[in-house]
Amino acid sequence: MNETFVTMGLGDIIEDTRDFLSEEFEVDRDLILPENSLKETLDLDSLDYVDLVVLIEENLNIKVTGEDFKEIETFGDFYALIQKKLSL
Amino acid sequence: MIITKENITNFIPHRAPFLMIDNLILANGERFESDFFIEENNVLVRSGYFEESGLIENIAQTCAAGFGYLDHGNGAEPKIGFIGAVTKLEVFELPLVLSKIETVVTPTHQLGNIFLVKGGNYCNGRKLLECEIKIVVT
Repeated sequence: MNETFVTMGLGDIIEDTRDFLSEEFEVDRDLILPENSLKETLDLDSLDYVDLVVLIEENLNIKVTGEDFKEIETFGDFYALIQKKLSL
Repeated sequence: MIITKENITNFIPHRAPFLMIDNLILANGERFESDFFIEENNVLVRSGYFEESGLIENIAQTCAAGFGYLDHGNGAEPKIGFIGAVTKLEVFELPLVLSKIETVVTPTHQLGNIFLVKGGNYCNGRKLLECEIKIVVT
């Protein structure tokens, strides 16, 4: 398990994730909901996904790949990936 | 030096007068280094200085040469790449004509065919410009 997040639960991590995503992509935090589309809500193009990879690495200290994103439609899917990567 | 000025066009698609790299000095998975002598007749020289756009292009061509060299070593044809975005750009100073600049590029992330690299140019140890570039490889 990632040591940084040993003491944090998934709920805390999700809230932190909503913070840095809304700030970086200039999106209303209230729109970052599990059922909403990650791509459409954050208005991501292919270059933006690279920024997302960097943000995830810097904020959560986990690495994600292009393959990981193939499974992600919603923020809920995204949180599930984080959970899996952090072995929570 | 791993690719000399005379052979650099075998590894990158750029051609004169838009050739902004001389020698590739180092290329491995973590770091590329090059040098470039700024001639008076360079198309990106204005008022005796090599422009910011030239420094950015020099970083991009260093990246192209580095990846081209690595592809060549793996038996693959060098790929064509395009600058997708330039971010976190800081300009410290511009080099004078007839000076030699050294450039360091570090690939930091890859997502499919998009590479994020950090680059910087130096002249006599002084930093000229640094930025991040997203390069889309075909």
